[in-house]
Amino acid sequence: MASRADGPGAGNAGGPGTGGGGAGRPEAAGLSGGIRDAGLSGDVRGAGLSGDVRNAGLSGGVRVEGLAVRQPATGRTLLSGVSFEVAPGESVAIVGESGSGKSLTVRAMLGLLPRGLEATGRVDVDGVRVDDDPRTRARQRGGVVSLLMQDPFTLLNPLRRVGRQIADGLPKGADPKVEVPRLLAEVGLPEDVAGRHPFQLSGGMRQRVGLAAALAGGPRVLVADEPTTALDATTQREVLALVRRIQRERDMAFVLITHDLRLAFSTCDRVVVMYAGRIMETGGAAAVRNEQLHPYTRALLAAEPPADRRLAVIPAVPGSVPAHDAVADRCAFAERCSLAVAECLAVGPVPKAVRPGRESACLRATELPAQPAPAPGVTLPFRGLADAVLDVRDLRRTFAGAGRPALAGVSLSIASGEVVGVVGESGSGKTTLARCVAGLERPDAGTILLDGVDCSDYGRLSRTAVRQARRTAQMIFQDPYSTLNPARTIGAALAEALRADGRPAASGDVARLLESVGLGRDMAGMRPAGLSGGERQRVAIARAVAGEPRLLICDEPVSALDVSVQAQILGLLAELRERLSMAMLFITHDLAVVRQIADRLYVLEAGRCVETGSADQVLDAPAHPYTRALLASVPDGSAGWLG
Amino acid sequence: MKHPRAGLARETRRRPPISVAVALAVLVAVAVATVFAPWIVPDATAQDLMLGITGPGPGHPLGTDDLGRDVLELLVAGARTAVPGALCVAAGSMLIGNLVGLPAGYLGGWVDALAMRWADLVFSLPALLVAIVVAGVLGGGYGLAIAVLVVLFAPTDTRVVRGAVLEQRHRPYVEAAQLKNLSAWRIMTRHVWPNIAPVALANVFLNFAYALVSLASLSFLGLGVPAGSPDWGRTLSDNRTQFLTNPWTVIAPGLAIIATAAALNIVGDWLYERVDRRGRAR
Repeated sequence: MASRADGPGAGNAGGPGTGGGGAGRPEAAGLSGGIRDAGLSGDVRGAGLSGDVRNAGLSGGVRVEGLAVRQPATGRTLLSGVSFEVAPGESVAIVGESGSGKSLTVRAMLGLLPRGLEATGRVDVDGVRVDDDPRTRARQRGGVVSLLMQDPFTLLNPLRRVGRQIADGLPKGADPKVEVPRLLAEVGLPEDVAGRHPFQLSGGMRQRVGLAAALAGGPRVLVADEPTTALDATTQREVLALVRRIQRERDMAFVLITHDLRLAFSTCDRVVVMYAGRIMETGGAAAVRNEQLHPYTRALLAAEPPADRRLAVIPAVPGSVPAHDAVADRCAFAERCSLAVAECLAVGPVPKAVRPGRESACLRATELPAQPAPAPGVTLPFRGLADAVLDVRDLRRTFAGAGRPALAGVSLSIASGEVVGVVGESGSGKTTLARCVAGLERPDAGTILLDGVDCSDYGRLSRTAVRQARRTAQMIFQDPYSTLNPARTIGAALAEALRADGRPAASGDVARLLESVGLGRDMAGMRPAGLSGGERQRVAIARAVAGEPRLLICDEPVSALDVSVQAQILGLLAELRERLSMAMLFITHDLAVVRQIADRLYVLEAGRCVETGSADQVLDAPAHPYTRALLASVPDGSAGWLG
Repeated sequence: MKHPRAGLARETRRRPPISVAVALAVLVAVAVATVFAPWIVPDATAQDLMLGITGPGPGHPLGTDDLGRDVLELLVAGARTAVPGALCVAAGSMLIGNLVGLPAGYLGGWVDALAMRWADLVFSLPALLVAIVVAGVLGGGYGLAIAVLVVLFAPTDTRVVRGAVLEQRHRPYVEAAQLKNLSAWRIMTRHVWPNIAPVALANVFLNFAYALVSLASLSFLGLGVPAGSPDWGRTLSDNRTQFLTNPWTVIAPGLAIIATAAALNIVGDWLYERVDRRGRAR
């Protein structure tokens, strides 16, 4: 919480040009009625503008000009030429994949860069130039500017009561007994939450507490760094709707960092698309949604799968995000761009106004082909009925100390070659189900028939039966960063997997396996540390399919990956499934993803299956209210999505 | 969850800081003394009773002890006794620690229970007191002192290794190896161990320093090397009555023990960071 560090600082501010501590109190008072007092706001801003340090019209807003971040120790540049403006009361989303520099941009803006990094360029916050003045900037944080962080589970001090943590951010002199309940009410939490400890709250409630704490200083600018990525889809929508409502009521400038373009369109007035440490495109949310003026934005949007239809092929962007310095003298996207011409590789373009309110860094922005129509959906191909490779009956599992069972009687079957999706939010039991089937978890009751063999308890199986079960079912995991042994080379890991599955494991076989998942054979000598997330997940898939299993259990295999990489991995899984006629148990929280790959769906809620059917049937005509709620929480990019 | 490209600042290749450079120099000097002492100071124990105890002066930079032996030469010769013993203790206890801690952490169940109760038992005994009693009852001797210390040190290593294994045990890469039906032994040695090796290595250094001091204490109490032998602990003990005549007879071996132990800790920490960073993405 940025707001905590500066409690006294904000109070001491007082002088001209720092409306922080002073503005906070009347602000909060004005909010007691739920609606911001327009007269008061004018008052505060008028007072600020009289100071000569203010820039006209930027009081309460943010302006970043020519921002660059370097690492002096290595001479590397991580981002450069970043300029944007957020007017008071305006919401702007900074969108990009990992490595795009979106988080670094706001960290540089707030003066919160990690050690060893240096920022240059001009930053004005609330009309005060702060890039050359760390003391003003520190005073502003928590007062004029507040930061809402990503992970609600680490954001709060686990040992302190929630109310006191919110009170930390209050301006000097404010009465916590009055202000804390008011802030809690503003974020939609009951008053008694103040007396609770963070572990007694759900993720969504914690993020609301984080928001209340961020609002405590009465900020003019609120920055949120992926505030809902760690939350469930339905909670994400609630929290975002809340943030946007409060932002409008308080008339704050709002900067949202996100990797999700549709989320950005739905939440913010304007979007700034970043890639490899540069700005690619900026414009109004609706305008960019209707027509993208940079091929990268087009590719990014196309790679986000829709939930309302199944695409024949998800248009993946080949390759991965380059380092800033590797593309310093050319268009950063040129190498992955199908429209690139020789000139794109020769000059490093800067964003230029293409039309009013729209900027694009594409040299060919004015001659881009017409916006392609959204790809039509395809219906599921009918797959003949085959014998079941997996048959789960009435599976139950309760973890020690848990209030309710993780699995409360789930039955499921997968036919040979069929892809079955299991969807649900965290706590629905979907991962427990996958781990039981894989034999990593022992169910309390119920049967698991894997290829006709009872595998409910791996401990009771004979050695040959266990080996048979392991060769029938393999699993890939969510986190690409811990799924590979960091101490072993890729080649050694794959050779071992081949041997374990009774296949020849000469270097030629390893190379073939690598190529089958779209990786170069020279990767065999590398260790996981040198690989990107997508490459690691490919290696993990190669390891799992080394012995051509009949069933592949996928536990959220793409949810930690960037959108463009996600599309690649989904394409790879679809291709492997055809080639190896492999069945899949596909666990995910993401309905748009599961729509693209699954033939049938099971919807889990709190350890029970509430709905099942073909993917088209469940997602086009959901029967259960829970399924409908899940479906409504998938961002569609429209301004009305948040309700 | 999206990860910002983390660890930017860490990727820079740093040269060892000055403290590590100094510590390395100390260790190199000690190692040279340990290996080459018989050639560097062939007659360190040669007595010159006519000279007797003298303060620092020409020919004897740190003076001589009551038997007229050069203190500096004794110091160099003493490394040959002090260092290999400590090395044996550190290596021995780490070997036991790995052999017991790896299965205890990975397999759990009764293996774990047995190993941990054994560790508890040894922990509950006051270490140095046990060493003194055992060495006293069995008549002392350097070999015995080393053996006793190995037994006393091993439970710590077992716990350290077990704890590190428990942390790795439920990582997806271990589960993936289990799903490939690899044997428990293979997963322990090929998959888990390389990832906990940095911790084990760091502990070797810590133990080495601790064993050096413990052995010196035992020798000081007359339960290690025989009286008169060149050994840092022993020299310190033998000369404590000479403190006022030539303080260097006591200060020099004491400094040698402290400097070596401190240098080992510094280098151990530094090596741990380097080894641990290698192969890790974030």
